[in-house]
Amino acid sequence: MIELSDKGRKARRRGKLLATLAFFLWQTAAYGQMNHQHASEAACDEPILRCASKVTPAFGPDGTLWLVWIAGGQISVASSKDRGHSFSAPVLVTKERLNLDWGPDARPKIVVDRTGGIALAFSIFRDKAFNGQVLYTRSADGGQSFSELRPITPSSESQRFEALALDADGSVFAAWLDKRNRVPAQQRGQKYEGAGLFFASSNDGGATYSESRLAQDNTCECCRLGLAFAGPGRPVIVFRNIFEGGVRDHAIVTFANPATPGEVHRVSQDDWQIAACPHHGPSLSISTAGTYHVTWYTNGTVRKGLFYARSQDGGRTFSDPLPIGQSDRSPSRPYVLAGPHGTAIVWKEFDGEQTTVNLMTSHDDGVTWSKAKAVAKTADTSDHPLLVSDGQRVFLSWMTKADGYHIQPIEDEP
Amino acid sequence: MKRQLLAGVFLVAFLLSAPASEAPPQLKPFGRGSWQDVLRAHAGRPTIVHFWGVTCGPCKVELPLLGEFMKDHPSIDVVTISADLVPNLSAATQSMLEKSGLSSAENWIFSDGFVERLRFEVDPSWQGDIPRTMLISREGTITTIEGSAEITDLEKWSDQQPAATR
Repeated sequence: MIELSDKGRKARRRGKLLATLAFFLWQTAAYGQMNHQHASEAACDEPILRCASKVTPAFGPDGTLWLVWIAGGQISVASSKDRGHSFSAPVLVTKERLNLDWGPDARPKIVVDRTGGIALAFSIFRDKAFNGQVLYTRSADGGQSFSELRPITPSSESQRFEALALDADGSVFAAWLDKRNRVPAQQRGQKYEGAGLFFASSNDGGATYSESRLAQDNTCECCRLGLAFAGPGRPVIVFRNIFEGGVRDHAIVTFANPATPGEVHRVSQDDWQIAACPHHGPSLSISTAGTYHVTWYTNGTVRKGLFYARSQDGGRTFSDPLPIGQSDRSPSRPYVLAGPHGTAIVWKEFDGEQTTVNLMTSHDDGVTWSKAKAVAKTADTSDHPLLVSDGQRVFLSWMTKADGYHIQPIEDEP
Repeated sequence: MKRQLLAGVFLVAFLLSAPASEAPPQLKPFGRGSWQDVLRAHAGRPTIVHFWGVTCGPCKVELPLLGEFMKDHPSIDVVTISADLVPNLSAATQSMLEKSGLSSAENWIFSDGFVERLRFEVDPSWQGDIPRTMLISREGTITTIEGSAEITDLEKWSDQQPAATR
């Protein structure tokens, strides 16, 4: 054993101290980095599909699957000719990282028209107060390039939660939530609640949009919209409305034509009186027989959880709400699609460790439904489950942080 | 020895500039298990836990009122938890807390992307709507107010709470 001199001991002690300090700081830095990664909904931070937090699918007329996603602060698009087994090289729609709307109900939207033209829309936060702006773009060369991003309206008030749908004549219908009526109301000394449901349409495949118009004022400002067509030129929007007394229940409006909204009807009396952002919007699909299928979330005094209802009179009246999912498993994000061989609903459930996507199907236009069955699962955060059809089959589209992007046919399910 | 010390200083300076400084230290990262930490730390004391977020309109209205309430009720512990799911929120969150007079409250921010799990730990029936306020009595009884809380309701609850001893 070698005895150390006092000087040697001091130097070693100092060295130890430095090493301890360095280790502590390294741990703190590593924790900061780890924490940063854990805080993210995405697996990584590049603009590639594997790093996406939100993915929206659409099939083109030739059966090509198109995806638009948010990853690495950018919006990208890619396509698959083999129903999701392999994808083309992604094309960046944005030229730089943008302050994209990452809200739980926000996602980029895509429609692919008969000529293969692609219309996109998405929201960004335009300022530090998180005021939103809806931007749109179009590709006329089969997704190889996208036009300059443009705002869907010149209004500088906050807009979010856009929806896009393709009409039978190839025009694109857009709807979104818009705060422009807040300032004039406040100037009149009136309290303004929520946001206006605005709409516009494009007759040139999403290259330009008509002047925006109001369908319904004072709707809930923080939930996704459900949009579908009841027939050519007749868009239908389901949205969380603000009824008398601050009740945030669902309402539906069927347009007489793309410029004329009809009467607003109530989907159900849930009596959810709340001054809050539920961040949990509805879903709508309309079958070829004209049946409206709606799913939604509520936490009202009349009922709580996820529900489904159908309307056979053009959205004037709805069936009694049918509960969806196991109430002790936090069911969320219901999505309905009336496909070529039946109607399907998917939603998420969480057991404290794992999230499952559950499916139930109906072969009589929503009168009776199969038992729920788990069709996918993951052990980390995930996007909303979505359904998409190529006109022949229905697919579940689901982005997960741990396991990447899934697209799976569900027609063989019960 | 001097060289050794100098190298140490450089190392320390380098590590200090690492991304740990990204989140202001006042905001505690709310991750898996944090909810139980909050409950344990305030056990036996009347506590208001307020879930909110900078992108939530009604929250912006309510937050300064909660700041006033905290000032007027020093015997009640006030905990805020930012439950917004937007990246890089620390600065905006801190700024809004300061403007609302809540910088001295115990302030947390959701720091795990798996928010379903965080919410499940707090309340399995909570789907993420904010604002949301939980009033926790000395006995641990939790009363949940969904949506904006009326300050008069907070005051009524606070008046019913026996004074706590530190």
